Amino acid sequence: MKIVLAAMAIFIAAFSLDNHYPLLIGQNIFLLAIVAIGLNVLFGWSGQLSIGHAGFLALGAYVSALLALKLKLPLLIGIGAGVMMASAAGLVLGLVALRAKSHYLAMITLAFGVIVEILVQRWVGLTGGSMGLIGVPRLNFGDPARGTQWMFIVTGLAWLAIQAANNRLSVSRIGWGLRAIKESEPAALAVGIDVRVWKAAVFVASAALAGLSGALFAHQSGYVSSDAFGLDKSVSLLIAVVIGGLGLRYGAILGACFVVLIEQALASRFEVSGYLYGGALLAVMLYLPVGLAGLADSLARRRAVRSVDGARSQDVMWSDRDGPPAGSLLLETRQLGKSYEGVVALENVNLRVVAGTVHAVIGPNGAGKSTLVNLLSGMDAPSQGETLYRGQDLAAVPPHRRTRLGMVRTFQNLQLVNELSVIENVMLGLAPPAFGLRGLAAEFGDQLRESRRQHAAAVLRFVEIADLADRKVADLAYGHRKLCELARAIAQSPTLMLLDEPIAGLNEHEAAIVALILRKLKARGATLILIEHNMPFVMAISDRITVLNYGRVIADDEPAVIQRNPAVVAAYLGGAVDTAVP
Amino acid sequence: MNPVDLIQVLVSGVALGGVYTLIGKGMFITYRTTQTLNFGQGDLLAVAAYLALTLATAGAPAPVVLVGSVAAVALLGMVVERVAVRPFQDRPHAAGALAWILTTFGFGLILQNMLVSVWGKSKQYSPPLFSTKADSLVTLAEVRFYREELAVALASLVIVGLFYLALFRSRWGKQVAAVAFDKATSALLGIDVKRTVVSSYVLMAMLAAISGVLIGPIVTIQPHIGLLFLVKGFAVVSVGGFTNPIGVLVAGIAFGVVEGFANYFDSLFGDLYAYVFVFFILIFRPTGLFGERHQGVR
Repeated sequence: MKIVLAAMAIFIAAFSLDNHYPLLIGQNIFLLAIVAIGLNVLFGWSGQLSIGHAGFLALGAYVSALLALKLKLPLLIGIGAGVMMASAAGLVLGLVALRAKSHYLAMITLAFGVIVEILVQRWVGLTGGSMGLIGVPRLNFGDPARGTQWMFIVTGLAWLAIQAANNRLSVSRIGWGLRAIKESEPAALAVGIDVRVWKAAVFVASAALAGLSGALFAHQSGYVSSDAFGLDKSVSLLIAVVIGGLGLRYGAILGACFVVLIEQALASRFEVSGYLYGGALLAVMLYLPVGLAGLADSLARRRAVRSVDGARSQDVMWSDRDGPPAGSLLLETRQLGKSYEGVVALENVNLRVVAGTVHAVIGPNGAGKSTLVNLLSGMDAPSQGETLYRGQDLAAVPPHRRTRLGMVRTFQNLQLVNELSVIENVMLGLAPPAFGLRGLAAEFGDQLRESRRQHAAAVLRFVEIADLADRKVADLAYGHRKLCELARAIAQSPTLMLLDEPIAGLNEHEAAIVALILRKLKARGATLILIEHNMPFVMAISDRITVLNYGRVIADDEPAVIQRNPAVVAAYLGGAVDTAVP
Repeated sequence: MNPVDLIQVLVSGVALGGVYTLIGKGMFITYRTTQTLNFGQGDLLAVAAYLALTLATAGAPAPVVLVGSVAAVALLGMVVERVAVRPFQDRPHAAGALAWILTTFGFGLILQNMLVSVWGKSKQYSPPLFSTKADSLVTLAEVRFYREELAVALASLVIVGLFYLALFRSRWGKQVAAVAFDKATSALLGIDVKRTVVSSYVLMAMLAAISGVLIGPIVTIQPHIGLLFLVKGFAVVSVGGFTNPIGVLVAGIAFGVVEGFANYFDSLFGDLYAYVFVFFILIFRPTGLFGERHQGVR
C-alpha cells in the first residue's frame, strides 16, 4: 500500500514540475540511493568494506553506453548487460573476499576501483577518456520532450522497488544472517549459514545494484565521462552510507539526499570537498555512529515493542526430526586428535555417545574440552582420527551442514548477534525455507515471518525469557544472553546438542532454569553432550561422563563410578591426594 | 633496452622501492600496537613532500628541511591517533571493527584538501636535496646515475636498518612486542600502553615524512599523490611479511624495480601494472602476512 502511494507520488511529482532542475536533482538522488542501498547491505549488514565501489558503477555505465552507442542495441539489453558485467566483477571480488578480510579486503577493493578508473581514463579509443562518450541514447521512451520526466520516473521506480525489497530482507533470515556474518561468523555457521556462499553472493548483489545505477546514469544525460567514476565517487558513496546510517533501512536514501544536495550547493567551489567529506566521515563516526536514519529513529521512538503471545502450546516449538532410536549409537569418535603447531590439545579420544542420553565431558582447564566441541561441530579440523555421526563420516562435512544434520552447538563465549533483538536471534536458528527461488519468495512474504515469530516466541517462553523478546541482545544481562543462545539452539530442533559450559556464570535461579530445560530436552529425545565445571550439576544430570586431562581420556563411566575414580580426583584436585605435602 | 638504461631503471626502482619499504614499515608498526593502519598514511607523506618543497625553495639547508618536515608530520601522526583511532579501539561501533579505516581515510582527505588550498592542484617539482642540480650525475663504471636517486636509495636502506635496530634491540621494541601480544598484561607489567601506541603512530608518521622528503625531488608531486604510495606500501608489506626483516625490504625493492620496468616499456598504462600486481598479490597472499594470530572459538 505504501509502495503504491510512493509510486503515485513519483508520477505526480514528475508531471507537475515544469522546472527540470528539481527533477534532475531527484534523478541523482535516486541513482545514488540505488548504489548506496547495495553498499549498505554489503558493509552495513555483512561488514565487508568496499572502497572501490565506483568501479562497478563504471562497468555498468560503459557497457550499457557502448552497446547502445556502437552496436545500436536496445537500451534494455544494454542496461541488462551492464548489470551482468558489474555482477561478474562483483563475483570476482566476492571470491577474493573469501580469502581476504577486513583491511586487506578494503585495500583490494581500493585497488580494483583505481584499476577501473585508470582503464576508463586512458583507454581513450574505447571510452573517450575524460572527454567522454557523447551522444549516448537517452532513456525517454521515444518522447524526448519529456525525457527528464521519464528518467525521473524510471530511476524513482527502480529505487522504490529496491528500497521495498531491502526493507523486507532487512527483517528476514537473509538480513539477520548477514548481520550474524558481520558480528560473529561462528554464530552464522552455528545456525547453518554457508558463510562463504553468502559473502560472495552479497558482493554480487551489491555490485549488480551499482551496475544498474551506472547503466541508468549512462542514459541520463547522454554523456559519460571517466571523471564520474573516480575515487572521489567511491568516497562519496561511502559517505552517503555512513552519514545516512549504517545498516539502517532508510540510511541509503537519506545519505543520498545529503550528498547530492551538498554537492549541488558546492558545485562552484569544488576544492572544499575533501574538508567536507573527510570532516563528515570523522564527525559522523565519532558523534553520530547511527547516522541520520538512526537519529530519526530515536527521535520518533518508533520501535514499539510487540508482545509475544502467539500459540500457548509448546509443541509448536519442536519440529521432530526422525531421530535415531534411543539407546543406539549416535556419535562416535575414533582416535580423534588435534595439535596446534606441535602443541597437542587432544589425543586419541574415543567417544561413544548414545542417543537419548546426557553425556558429560569434564576435565580441568586446558584439558581440551573446547577443542573437542570445535572438532565435533566442525569449526576446527582434526589433525587425526575420525568422527562418525549416525554412521556417517563427518570429515568432509562443513560446520553449517553439520547443523542441518541436527548437530547444534552453544558457545562458552557467547556468539550472538548483538544488534538484533532476542527473538530475531532465535528466529535465525529456525530452519531456512526451501533453497532456491521459492525460498527467496517466502522470505519476502508475511506468512513465513509470522509463523517464525510464533515458533520463536514459544521457544522463548520455554526458556522463560519471553518478556525480553524485543529487547536488543546488547542490552541484556549475561544470564539472559546465555538463555537466548540456548533458545537459538533449541529453535534448531537439534538431535544432538553440544553445550559448552551452559551454566557457567549464571546465578542459581538461572542455573536451575537451564537444568530444567536440559531435562525437558532429554525427555523429548534429544541427546546432549555437556561440557561443564559445576560438579553437582554434572553428576545430577548426566548418564555418562568422559573425563579429559591434558588432551587424553582418563576415565569414561557412569557418574557414580567417576566420583570414586582416584585418577579423576587427582586431576581435579591438582595433585595426588595420598602424596600430600609433608 | 640497452644495459645502461637497464641499470638506470634498476637504480630508480631501488630508490622508489626503498621508499615503499619505509611506508610498509609504518603500517607494520601501528598494526602491531593497535591492529589498525593509517589509511591516510600516504597523505602524511604528501604533506611532508610539500613542506620540504617550501623549505628547500626558501633556501633552507637539507638537515633543516628534513627535521622541519618530519617534526611537523610527526605531530600530525599524534593527531591521527587521537581523533581517528583511539576513540574506536575496543568499542562496539555500527561500522563493526572497521571504523578506523573510514576515519583515518577521512583524515587523509582533509589533509589532501589542505594541500590543494595551500599549494594548489598543479604538479610541482621539489629542488634536489642531496645535489645542487636536479640532474647532477654520478659516473660509476661508465654508467651514469642521477645522484639524487642513488642518495635516496642509500638513505632509505639506512633508515630501514635503524628501524630494525630500534625494534629488535631497544627497550621500546620490547614494549611494542608486549603491547602487540596483550595490552592488559603489558599494563600490569608497568608498560605505559597508551604511550607505546602513540609512539607507534608518531614513528609511522616520521617514516611517512622521511619518505615524502626523499621522493619529493625524484617524482612530481601533486596533492593526491598519497594514494599511490598508500596502496603500494601496503602491497609491499603484504608480500614481504613482517616477521622476516629481509623479506619486506626485498619485496619493496622488487616492487619498485618491476614498476620501473613497467613504466619504461608501457608509458601509457605503466602505473596500472602496480595496482594489478597489488590486486593479485592480495588474492594469493591475503593473510598471515602480518603474522596474525589464529584464535580459536570457545
